Amino acid sequence: MKNVLFLLLASVAFLHAQVDPGKAAPDFTLPNGNGKQTSLSEFKGKTVVLEWTNFGCPFVKKHYASGNMQKLQAEAAEKGVVWISICSSAPGKQGYLPVADVTKAFTEAGSKAASYLVDEDGQVGRLYGAKTTPDMFVINPAGIVVYHGAIDDKKSANPADINGAKNYVSAAIAETLSGQAVKEALTQPYGCSIKYANP
Amino acid sequence: MKLFFQKLLVLFIGCLPIAQEVRCQEMDGTPLVKASLVSNASAVVAGQSFEVGVLLEMAPGWHTYWEYSGDAGLPIDIAWKLPAGFQAGSIQWPVPEAKLEPGNIQTYAYSNRVLLPVKITPPKEVSGSITLKADVSWLVCKDTCVPGDAEVEISLPVGDKANPLDEPLFEEFRAMIPSKKTPPFSLDWTSKAGNMELHISGLASGQLPELFPLPREGQTAAHPKFLPPDRFEISGSEFHGVLAIRYGDERRAWEVDSNVAPRVPTQSEGPGLWLALFYGFLGGIILNLMPCVLPVISLKIFGFIHQAGNSRLQILVHGFAFAAGIFTWFLGLAVVIVFLKSAGTQVTWAFQFQNPWFNVVIGTLVFVFALNLAGVFEVILPGRAATTLEKTGDTAGLGGSFFQGVFATLLATPCTAPFLGSALGFAFSQSSLVIFAMFASIAFGMALPYLLLTAQPGWMRFLPRPGAWMERLKQFMAFPLFATLVWILLILGGQRGVDGIIWFCAFLLCAAMACWLYGAFHQNTLATLLAVVIFCSGAGFFLGEKFAHSGQINSEGISWVPFSKDRLKTELAAGKTVFVDFTADWCITCKFNEKTAIDTAAVRALLSKKNIVPMKADWTNANPEITEALKKFGRVGVPFYVIYANGDASSPVVLPELLTEAILVDALKKIP
Repeated sequence: MKNVLFLLLASVAFLHAQVDPGKAAPDFTLPNGNGKQTSLSEFKGKTVVLEWTNFGCPFVKKHYASGNMQKLQAEAAEKGVVWISICSSAPGKQGYLPVADVTKAFTEAGSKAASYLVDEDGQVGRLYGAKTTPDMFVINPAGIVVYHGAIDDKKSANPADINGAKNYVSAAIAETLSGQAVKEALTQPYGCSIKYANP
Repeated sequence: MKLFFQKLLVLFIGCLPIAQEVRCQEMDGTPLVKASLVSNASAVVAGQSFEVGVLLEMAPGWHTYWEYSGDAGLPIDIAWKLPAGFQAGSIQWPVPEAKLEPGNIQTYAYSNRVLLPVKITPPKEVSGSITLKADVSWLVCKDTCVPGDAEVEISLPVGDKANPLDEPLFEEFRAMIPSKKTPPFSLDWTSKAGNMELHISGLASGQLPELFPLPREGQTAAHPKFLPPDRFEISGSEFHGVLAIRYGDERRAWEVDSNVAPRVPTQSEGPGLWLALFYGFLGGIILNLMPCVLPVISLKIFGFIHQAGNSRLQILVHGFAFAAGIFTWFLGLAVVIVFLKSAGTQVTWAFQFQNPWFNVVIGTLVFVFALNLAGVFEVILPGRAATTLEKTGDTAGLGGSFFQGVFATLLATPCTAPFLGSALGFAFSQSSLVIFAMFASIAFGMALPYLLLTAQPGWMRFLPRPGAWMERLKQFMAFPLFATLVWILLILGGQRGVDGIIWFCAFLLCAAMACWLYGAFHQNTLATLLAVVIFCSGAGFFLGEKFAHSGQINSEGISWVPFSKDRLKTELAAGKTVFVDFTADWCITCKFNEKTAIDTAAVRALLSKKNIVPMKADWTNANPEITEALKKFGRVGVPFYVIYANGDASSPVVLPELLTEAILVDALKKIP
């Protein structure tokens, strides 16, 4: 019965999911590479970046192979921003990483994110309305989503396009840290579709 | 499309560069996308634009993306590298397919293959041989996504004239490029609490609408939600995109924008509108030559002169009042039509000529009207009504002239009805604007003699003398209408085959007899009643019974042999392989299987190649012989499919009920 209720709730969330800028970021708890459960609420009072990722996706590769994503992650860490990468690929689907393999993949990618969380049933991804990899969210210290959308304004999988692209995430972080409103708070994310479990 | 798919499979074997200009993307040795450039002209002619298309052929299950890829994906990109002086237009994107992935991820993509035509304009002076190059890049996805790119090129000789090349390929995709014209149905955008709803009226049955967003810069895209059969819900307050209509295998598309609705007709609509105006005007003038109109003209003009005395101006004013009466009548008719058209939401008015029943109605009207013109029967206004009308109009003054205009037109109905009736029929398929324009020009054509003659009464000497020729002219006018009927039969033949034409003609025969009876003996109630009976029973039997079930299978279809125990025995005794399709009209699964798995190019090819007898056991009207045959296999219903290989009646192969093309092709191929 509890399961049925949960499914119902999940399907409602599925239909209406989309955490738009200006709304409170819903809390979640997911396991990291060490199997430790990590909750968003642990970082209350800090600026948080959520990055939906999938190391097999060419758009993610564009930003990791070029070192662009790691650079952003390192800069964010310096400024005290918590960067959380989330993978919502379902077991059996492309990009799925079992918890046991996370640390290895994370290290190989050279990721500088604070955490890499596994969302294998896709609940959190659906709750936030994440659709692509990458799909970026910036949450301010008050727990309000201030940015949702693409990583930058050059929709391509070509690393050569990184130079000269306008990075929405670093702009949103800078504006949030200096107490300003984020100018471009909602953009259209681009990338591969997230490989969610079949309903 | 299916045929192409076969071709594709063949081409993909090995993915070798068969022609040098074909580029291939592979993954782990599996070919994913083949890219090439194709031209629709055999040569480059100085200053003469032609089309070059980027052709992408995707492996089964893989897809590339439309200009707006949706929630994920990336549009195909073309960077041209053209010789000096050459110019490339923008990509003409054919309408994509909507794909919904788990997680409510909506994308717009192409599968199998896509051609992206681009207009190329050569400079005024060209020589030698021309090589056009382009860097094409794309993202191709199935379960995973792989970016790909290729430099494609095509070399063309320079010539004085070019022959068309690859027209079928270009035609296939050109047909799917969204048109900038107004779609042939009406779109109503309504906003509701921050959301919009689009209602499409005028869809015929079987036409499936699809709506694709194409956000303009600064617009956020919203994925329309389809509310069958003809509504879309869209979040947000504005929408720009593409409306596509799927009708069987065909797809047509139009650009739509909530901000430009209702669209003011642009120049592109010009020809249709001007033609309607011209025909209307011509029709109006011809109306004046009809036997019940022409003699009246000079009478009316003399009447005006009599009333106005010697004032030329007064005569003209009367002429205008009379013309105003004519206009009032015709525009009134137009209002009625537009009203009926918009009121008939359940009745579908657009695409009518695709609907065989619409053609039947119009064809019948045209035929009956032609008989009327030819003199087989006449429409007579009830005597009392006519006299009353005439008296009402018979008052002096400008008001009198105005009403005379209205009533003269009304009284001319027996002669004009055939034309107006036909015009009305066609008007239903037009936009309201065209209807008004057309009727206004008919009115103008009909009023013209009055205007001219009241301005210059002296010109009355040019007026043709009424006489027997008018009757002949009227009879002659029956022929254009008969010709129209031939045209309608042509369309009907395409829709319902020879059977359809024959049964419709049989019904027309009944209609002709009914008209003749009415014409010859209309004072006789019994004869009129008999005419009605003949007409109705003809309609009931030939249309309702025969025409309704006439062949809808196109010429390409499988030539089914009707099932019977004896026939099956004979074919098997001859050592033939027999494929039996147990089916019924009311069985949706059967029809679905026939459309998707059985009546396909691959299956047709195999059937004819292997000389297999396709046998249809139609269980629509419970046939005991078929029931018995089904029972033998322990079945109580359809669909059911069985193959008897090479005359072997003892070990038939039973196929699954949910048949796919692959299963059937496999089974047919296995037959030695």
